[in-house]
This record gives sequence, C-alpha cells and structure tokens, in this order.
Amino acid sequence: MSAEPLEQPGPEIDLDRVRAEIDQEVRRKRASGELPADLERELDLVFARFAPVDAVLGDFDSVMARVDELTQIDLVAPLDTTNPAVAFVKRAIRKTIRWYLRWVASQVSGLGHALGKAVRLLADRVGALEQAVPPPGGTVAREARLAGGEPDLSEWESLLVALLNDAPGRVVHAEAGHGTLVARLLARGVDAYGVEPVEALAQRADEEGIEVRLDPVAAHLRALTDGVLGGLVLSGCVDRLPPGSLVELAELAAAKLARGGRLVVIGTNPSVWGRERDPIGADLAGGRPIHAQTWRHLLEARGFSDLKVAEAQASEVRLSPVPGSDAGANVINANLERLNELLFPPRAFAVTGVR
Amino acid sequence: MTTRVQAVHQFVPTFEPGAVGGHALQVQRLFQDRGLQSEIYAEHLRMPGAVRGRRFTDYRGRRGQKGREVLLYHMAVGSTVADFVESRPEPLVVDHHNITPPSFFARWQPELVHGVSWGQDQLLRLGRRAALGAADSAFNQAELDAAGYRRSAVAPLLVDVGSFDAAADEDMVARLLDEKAEGSVTWLFVGRVTPNKCQHDVLKAFALYRRLYDPGARLHLVGGCSSRAYWSALEGYVAALGLLDAVHLTGPVPAGGLAAHYRAADVFVCLSEHEGFCIPLLEAWAHALPVVAYSAAAVPETVAGAGLLLEGKEPAVVAAAVHRVTHDRELRRGLVAAGSRRLADFALDRTRARFLRSLEDGLELPLGA
Repeated sequence: MSAEPLEQPGPEIDLDRVRAEIDQEVRRKRASGELPADLERELDLVFARFAPVDAVLGDFDSVMARVDELTQIDLVAPLDTTNPAVAFVKRAIRKTIRWYLRWVASQVSGLGHALGKAVRLLADRVGALEQAVPPPGGTVAREARLAGGEPDLSEWESLLVALLNDAPGRVVHAEAGHGTLVARLLARGVDAYGVEPVEALAQRADEEGIEVRLDPVAAHLRALTDGVLGGLVLSGCVDRLPPGSLVELAELAAAKLARGGRLVVIGTNPSVWGRERDPIGADLAGGRPIHAQTWRHLLEARGFSDLKVAEAQASEVRLSPVPGSDAGANVINANLERLNELLFPPRAFAVTGVR
Repeated sequence: MTTRVQAVHQFVPTFEPGAVGGHALQVQRLFQDRGLQSEIYAEHLRMPGAVRGRRFTDYRGRRGQKGREVLLYHMAVGSTVADFVESRPEPLVVDHHNITPPSFFARWQPELVHGVSWGQDQLLRLGRRAALGAADSAFNQAELDAAGYRRSAVAPLLVDVGSFDAAADEDMVARLLDEKAEGSVTWLFVGRVTPNKCQHDVLKAFALYRRLYDPGARLHLVGGCSSRAYWSALEGYVAALGLLDAVHLTGPVPAGGLAAHYRAADVFVCLSEHEGFCIPLLEAWAHALPVVAYSAAAVPETVAGAGLLLEGKEPAVVAAAVHRVTHDRELRRGLVAAGSRRLADFALDRTRARFLRSLEDGLELPLGA
C-alpha cells in the first residue's frame, strides 16, 4: 500500500453508493456470524473498565467521596519550574501568602462540606421518595419486567418485516427479551439487534448467538448518535413505564431514527392489561400502557408521518350466545355481544410511523 | 471620510506552536505585507526560536486616534486576555476557533471544565463588544450567531499547506515502513489525546478491523496529551485488547516525525465528535491519504466530499469503510484526487484573500494597501 501521485485524476465517486455497500457488507457479516453478535458490545465493556472518572460519575457514593476529596484545598502550590531563581521567588511567594490562602481555603472547604451535606440530605429524601414511588429502572421495575417473561410477538411479524425490510439503517428491538423477535427479523433479512435491561435474558440471547445488548432502553437510545437508526420496535417497556418515560421514548425515537426511519410501538390494550396475563407485572409496574390514540398523538407531535394503528386479533374467549331466535333470545344475545366487545377487546395494538 | 486603519494587533491567550499560533503568525504576515503594523500579544509566550510576541499587558494603544487600530482576539479558551480586550476602546474582531464543550471534560477531567466554561461566557460577553465575529468555519459562525454577534463571517484559517510535507524525517519513515507487515494497512489519526477526539472509538474500530480484515494492521495515534485520565484509559484499553504491538500512542512529535507518520500511513481515520475545523484533514490530503471520518461538528464542512464521511461510529461500519477505501483502488484514487482538489481550496494565496475580504466586508473598512 503506497501513496499514489497527487496529479492522477480520480474518477467521480458516488459516496452514497459506497456507504450503502459498506452497510450491506456489515449486514452480511452479521448474518453469516463472521461478525459475532456481541463483539461490539464487548469492545464497549472493555473500554468502560478503563474509564475511572466515568465509572465514578455513575455511582452516587463514589461521586460524593470525590467531592469530599476535592473540598480539601492544597495550600502547597507546585513550584513547576527548572529555573532556580524563579523557584526561589515562587517559594517565597508561597510562604508569604500562606496565611492568606489558609484563611480563604478554610472558607472554600467549609462551603464544599456544607454543599456536600446538602446533597446527601437531598439524596436521603430522593431515596425515601423512590421507596414510595418505585422509579422506572429500580428493583421493583425489574421484578415487573421478569414477571412478564418473553411476550409472544409472532402475530406482528409480517407487519414488521413489511415495514422494516428496507429501513434506512439498523433496526433496534427494545425490550428484546432473549431475542426471539430479533432472530426472526434477522432470518427474514432485517438487520436488527436487541436491547434488554435484564441480564439473565440478554445472557440467554448471547448464548444463542443473537445480538441483544444489555442496557436500559432509554439509556441505550440516549447514547446513540442522532439519526443513526433505520428502525425501532418498542414493546414490553411501553406497557410498564410511567407517562414521563413514555414521552421521553417518543422523543428519543424522533431523535435517533434517520429520515425515513420506521417506528413500531407494540402496546397492550389498557383495558385488558393485567387481566388475562401477567397480573404480577401489572401490579408491580411503575406505569401502565397507554392507548394507541395517545401514542399516535405523541408521535404526530414529534414529526412522525404515515401513522397507522393495527389491532391484534380479538380474543377467542367469548360469552356464548343462547340458543333460539325468539325475541327474548335476540335481546340477550345482543347484550352478550356488547359484553363481549367490552370484556374481550383486541389484546394489543401496533402503532407504526415514519420519521 | 473613511478612517484609515494603521494597525491590526492580535491577542491570543497563549502564543505557541499549533493551529491558532500558526494562524496568528500568518495573519501577522498578511497585515504586514499590506503595510500595516501588526503585533501578537499574549498572556503566555511559548513560541520557540526567533518568533516574538509581546505580553498583552504591554499593549497601550494610541490615544486620540480612534479607529486607527483594530484588535483581533483569537478565542479558543477562557483567558484574562479576553477580559483585557473587552475593556479596550479599539474596534474588536473576535476570531472564533471554537471552544470544546465542557461536557467532554466533565467525565474525564473536571478541572478543565472551568477554563472552557469561562471561555464560553467570554465568547458571549465579547459578542456585545465586537464589531465582527470571524469564524474558521460555518459551524463556528453558527455559534457566533447563536451568541448574539451583530456581524459574523467565515474567515478561513491561514495554514501553509505547502509546508506539510517539507521535512519528513526519512529515518522515521523507513522505520515505520519497516515495522509494517507485508500487505497490511496502517491507520493514522492525528490530534491531541482528549475525550472529544474520541481516540477510543478509533481503537474499537481498529480492533475489529484486525479481527475481520487484517490481523497485521497497525494504528498510530499521533498527538500530545491533553487529558491524563483519558490517555491512561487508552493505554489500558490497548493492553486489554492485546494490541500493544499494533498500536502506538506517540505523544507529541516534531514536524519531521509528523510528516513521517503521514507518509507511512495508508488511511486517515477521524472519529472526533467535536472539531472547529480539523487541520489534520488537510495534512492527510497533502500526503495523498484517503480520509474516513465521522460526520460531526465542522468535519463535514472541511471534508466537503473529499473523504468518506460516516453518519455513525459503529466499529464494524468504520472497519468496513477503512477496508473499502484501502482496497478499492478506484475509490482510493478518487478520494486522494478529491483530497488534492480540496486542499487547493486552502492554499495560502486563496485563504489570505478570503480572510482579508471577510474582515474588510465585516468591518466596512479597508485594511492596508
């Protein structure tokens, strides 16, 4: 490999085509297993080990320990010179103004300690608040997630493939569980990976060679570059998060999807939530599902177009009509039909939109 | 009657070798060539050799000659020099070279946050005082506009692109080529080792490239250390990835060594998230290197089609992009030629003319002969 002379004229190059071909090559490598599912995540995790300050910032107690450390003001300024004359002058200045620095430093340290104390008191109050109202990423939320297990999304597969097979970039499924839907999308030519906050589920996907990254959904999306995703499928988390977190997900979807990117929100119908399945998850969740119309409203306000709502098959469990065709039976059957609609509506919906 | 400007004096926090120092010297030459007086004032004077600057506190100005002297302040970080020029009565031009956002340092080196936050605050304050905000790039100009500058213009960085390949250290070139495995690719990134330059992302992509395409590939990360914590993390990362024999963090290198690294490389890979201009791109083009770069901040504007820009930084995509530009002869030839054409846009005779025109139009004053 050697540099070619500058004067050689270069051919006109279609860089968009080159980029598309590069993306295709990466897809091929992922699909063939040549690019192992979790290799990129492994690279991230290894780097995280060497980011001490970052690690410190992620943990409240470590940060407060760092604050305590920094409130101790060092009065001995470095002399930092190779010139002996300058060193002499600096040393003399340091000695002369030491009484003054000590006076200032004691006040700065006092302020630091007071602020640290204030932050700790605030943390205690936040802790108490979290006990009363479990936060989205806390222990209770994790129990709610685990209680839900792996939801069956197979009835949405055709809709998803039709929508995502020409998505302008990689597709993320969150929460992906142990990667069933991701595997199905990959098998049908969609370049997808999953995000799952529960380690046991992500681990199982890893064992099966499916790329499911262990991450809270919102945190994962926040860390992505804007406009980088071709598609985003949200399911599971959208049934359990509080409204503020759902609005954030809508905003993150708008920010992280490329122009023309596809969004699919698969949610449980609020009127059946916790009734037919997953009562534990429903009871422990910090939030609840919202209606398809609400998703549509949120997404429309954030610039999504071509918004559509598809409903799942209605439940097969229904109240049976009474036999006969007399007037009494007809009245009863009409009432039963109304009860069926109220009691057994479609269990889920999918809201789709284009960025 | 139009005031005749007799001097344009420059002020810079630290006058030292580097992008801003080099630019200030070229600007001084430009104004002196036009018959104007032009001195460079700074708080810290670190330019080696015969190049002289003056302490900013020595500047007195000319009493009773309003408008005869213009001050040009180079903004890149917080400094008492900015407070000084703010207090002066002469017409002021702020040449904005960009301030790295504090968020990049907060995670790695909190002690640097103050300097850049201070700089951001001064950029805003000088906007109320400045007759003109000049910017290296439209990206920087947008920051000036957002900061409320009444007038702003893109005034290009003055860089002597002809000097890039002047003095390659031939011994080092030979050594670097000797280290290279037959048929393998050498990656290069040049820039201070600091979190916003994202050398760790280059390492991720490089590690994956070696695994997927070229086990003998090498990577040179050239540049001094601006963040000790980040540097240490990179060193640890290289060791943990088993790349000690393949990756070289050079630290600062002299001009000859820098040219040698460009000569020995096959591709320039920039995954930086914040650049106000990015001179190393010009250096790469001068050495006929194809460029693969992450499309962020001012990078797409500087590249302008003369490199393969990527919308994301997924290691697999970066690795595939590098493989493509180093092994697709037509593409490589096309990128090198495009780089050569783009480099011509930054030839000193062109940038000097554009720089002068931007200042004269912005100030509505002729500057010298």
